[in-house]
Amino acid sequence: MIYILEDAINGVLMGSIYGLTALGLTLIFGVLKVINFAHGSLLMVGMYAAYWAIILTGVHPYVALVIVAPVMYLFGYYLQDIVIKPIFKAEKDVREPITVIIVTTGVWYILDNLTLLIFGPTYRNIQDNPLKGKMLEIGEVFISVPKLWGFVTAVITAAAVYWFLQKTRMGRAIRATSLDREAASLMGINQFKVYNVAFGIGTATAGIAAVTLVPFYNIFPSVGVLFDIKGFIIVVLGGLGSIGGAILGGIIIGLIESIAPQFMTATWTEAIVYGLFLVVLFVKPSGLFGVKYDW
Amino acid sequence: MNILEIKNLVKDFGGLRAVDTLSLSIEEGEILGLIGPNGAGKSTAFNCIAGVYPPTGGEIYFAGEKINRSKPWNLCKKGLARTFQIVKPFSSKSVLYNVMVGSFVTTDKTSVAKEKALNVLRLLQFEDKKDERAGNLTIAERKRLEIARALATEPKLLLFDEVMAGLRPAEVDEMVQIIQNLRHQGITIFVIEHIMRAIMALSDRIVVIHFGKKIAEGSPQEVASDENVIKAYLGDEYVIS
Amino acid sequence: MTRQNINRFALILVGVVAFGLPLVLRSPTYLHILILLYLYAYLTSSWNLVGGFAGVLPLGHSAFIGIGAYASTILSLQYGISPWLGMIVGGILASITGVLIGLPTFKMRGAYFALATIAFGEGIRVMVENVDNLGPLKINGPRGLQIPPTNIGFVNYMFNGKEPYYYIILVMLLGILAITYFISRSKLGYYLNAGGEEPEAAMALGVNVARAKLIAMAMSSFFTALAGTFYAQFTLYIHPKSVISLDFSFEIAFIALIGGRGSIAGPVLGALLLRPVSDFSRIYFGATLPGLHLIIFGIVLILVMIYQPRGLQEPLTRAYNRLLDKIFGGTGKKEITHEYS
Repeated sequence: MIYILEDAINGVLMGSIYGLTALGLTLIFGVLKVINFAHGSLLMVGMYAAYWAIILTGVHPYVALVIVAPVMYLFGYYLQDIVIKPIFKAEKDVREPITVIIVTTGVWYILDNLTLLIFGPTYRNIQDNPLKGKMLEIGEVFISVPKLWGFVTAVITAAAVYWFLQKTRMGRAIRATSLDREAASLMGINQFKVYNVAFGIGTATAGIAAVTLVPFYNIFPSVGVLFDIKGFIIVVLGGLGSIGGAILGGIIIGLIESIAPQFMTATWTEAIVYGLFLVVLFVKPSGLFGVKYDW
Repeated sequence: MNILEIKNLVKDFGGLRAVDTLSLSIEEGEILGLIGPNGAGKSTAFNCIAGVYPPTGGEIYFAGEKINRSKPWNLCKKGLARTFQIVKPFSSKSVLYNVMVGSFVTTDKTSVAKEKALNVLRLLQFEDKKDERAGNLTIAERKRLEIARALATEPKLLLFDEVMAGLRPAEVDEMVQIIQNLRHQGITIFVIEHIMRAIMALSDRIVVIHFGKKIAEGSPQEVASDENVIKAYLGDEYVIS
Repeated sequence: MTRQNINRFALILVGVVAFGLPLVLRSPTYLHILILLYLYAYLTSSWNLVGGFAGVLPLGHSAFIGIGAYASTILSLQYGISPWLGMIVGGILASITGVLIGLPTFKMRGAYFALATIAFGEGIRVMVENVDNLGPLKINGPRGLQIPPTNIGFVNYMFNGKEPYYYIILVMLLGILAITYFISRSKLGYYLNAGGEEPEAAMALGVNVARAKLIAMAMSSFFTALAGTFYAQFTLYIHPKSVISLDFSFEIAFIALIGGRGSIAGPVLGALLLRPVSDFSRIYFGATLPGLHLIIFGIVLILVMIYQPRGLQEPLTRAYNRLLDKIFGGTGKKEITHEYS
């Protein structure tokens, strides 16, 4: 019984990190109405950036946030500006241009394989970082310390993004554009600037998620792929565009992943996750907390 | 027999009643106009008839058959065609292709559909543009294409949703001509329009709705001098009493 | 010489060359490359029936390849049924699966549809990977099924040498191209195009858009599954990650997109352009620069989507027409647009 509780708690913590990785995805989908297939790759880039930042400076992993978050923001901002914006301009009247999905897949292929080319396929991790392998003992339950840090970071980041969207001018502009981009632009909001910022923030949160993962997760060129697919599932579960939904969706997946293996094989767990995904897509495509778009 | 009968049609969107117990009927061969201030519920009524929205209440009969909740494509096959207020051409295809899509309602063979489509284009004096890409047409040409497509389905009743919007006066007159010619083909016509001179010239009868309710019905002259109509469009000060 | 006659002559010429190649080209390596090239051209053309004509983005099509491969293989290994019959069975099973998948998903908007097809594709793969035996049927999970190269002969779909396989896939390719051609000029083709471009208008014009898409899906999945049987009989080993993989699904979709979905020549052109790039970079740079072909692929994908979203067949067709103008003179008028676009 205790083991289930322990699994559950660690599952929730890991799940919140999943949610953090999906945060950017839901923001980008909510605002730009496109599925960013490169999101996992951006996470991977963040992980490599964090890895090198930590290795080269020797600081505590979370200090690397200071470097990684802004760098990732700019990366995302300009990626959107240079590669994705031309498509939006070309497909002005289509509400959600499918071509962008295809382009982001191209970005995914390029990023993953360029990384493979430059850094090779070896798995890397930060051997002696202050968080690795540390466990917190509460009664008879062992809680993973790096995951706990991740949980706290996830909640703070989610709250910060939410506050940004609700209280700041740019945040409101982003929300307006996601509801009706034509109307928003008629009100003087530069729709493309909004996209750039949204993409930048989304990528920055991927960078933050990367930093939380780096203390205990292996880093290799295709690490993004796992998180990519999980990200979509979480985002659909929680509701596209819903910040809280992303975190909660992540927690659900985290719980399933940690508890189910007690009762069945890992691959059946995978099947359950896909099954749940399909059920949500059919029954309530707007997700648990999503706004009902006029899909 | 009345080709279209609407009995107490109601359409609610959440808490908003867009169409409020609307009743009207159209005789075969008539041209009936539907007018009313913006937001009065005209397009909503059309969309209920055309199968786009399911009515919240009331009944709609087409040629004696109840058609509530019928699917648009089935209605089209039964002889009820419509145009869209915001035109929706198949932009990447040619004009002829666009019209052929409509012609396929009556045939399965491509060659037959092509012939029929050419005939429709000839009727509307549009044949010279048959190979033109639909996306490159002017707004007046697109409206004509919209009519051509609907016509190709060989309808008994045609619903025109603001087909004159955006046209210059000369183009409006042309369009009135075209629609009057359609009547000679034996097609019954139900028109929503804002451009008064067009609808006055076209309609045998006019129904006026305001806030979803019918407020007047009669010949164009009767309706134009109806006190309620004037109030609805211009406000109380203009009523001569 | 009308332009149409020139085009017909060119096609016949290409056909003759294709049939004659194995007589001239003796090397099994080159034949192997060509066979895979034709296979991809076939797969992208089958995908095109849904992804091109119906205007949606299905990203789970390799599931049908898997269904076809497993159906014919199990039937021949366990019950001695000729793979040709097994192929038809696989096709029908895939068709039914396709319709079942299409029923709930075609209602969804583009991005959701894409995700749902991915989920179905992966879901099917995971299930096959997890199952060793389905009742009396031996599936063997992740280890896959091996086909012993015994019983050579047409009935058993088993041959020595590459030539017979070359001709089979060539015939299949020509077949799917002919089918696509006739559909594009038929009522179904017009309805699919209309429904894909402006579904509301199409419905008002008598088009049951959902039904047209399902018909297209049924056909597409059927034909895709036939290629699964071919693949199984050609490579003699199938396992979930080879026949039901996300990468495979994506590759098919993106080759079709780069070539130009919705057109007949597009998918074939895409395969003709991209497969050699892929093979070339893998052979010459595989060791030193791994993954290079995917980087090239990604760059091409992005550039094409930005500058030629309707695929490379558009500028290539124009160049072809201009070339013919120079050689034969004439108006060089493009093919009448209303036939298909």
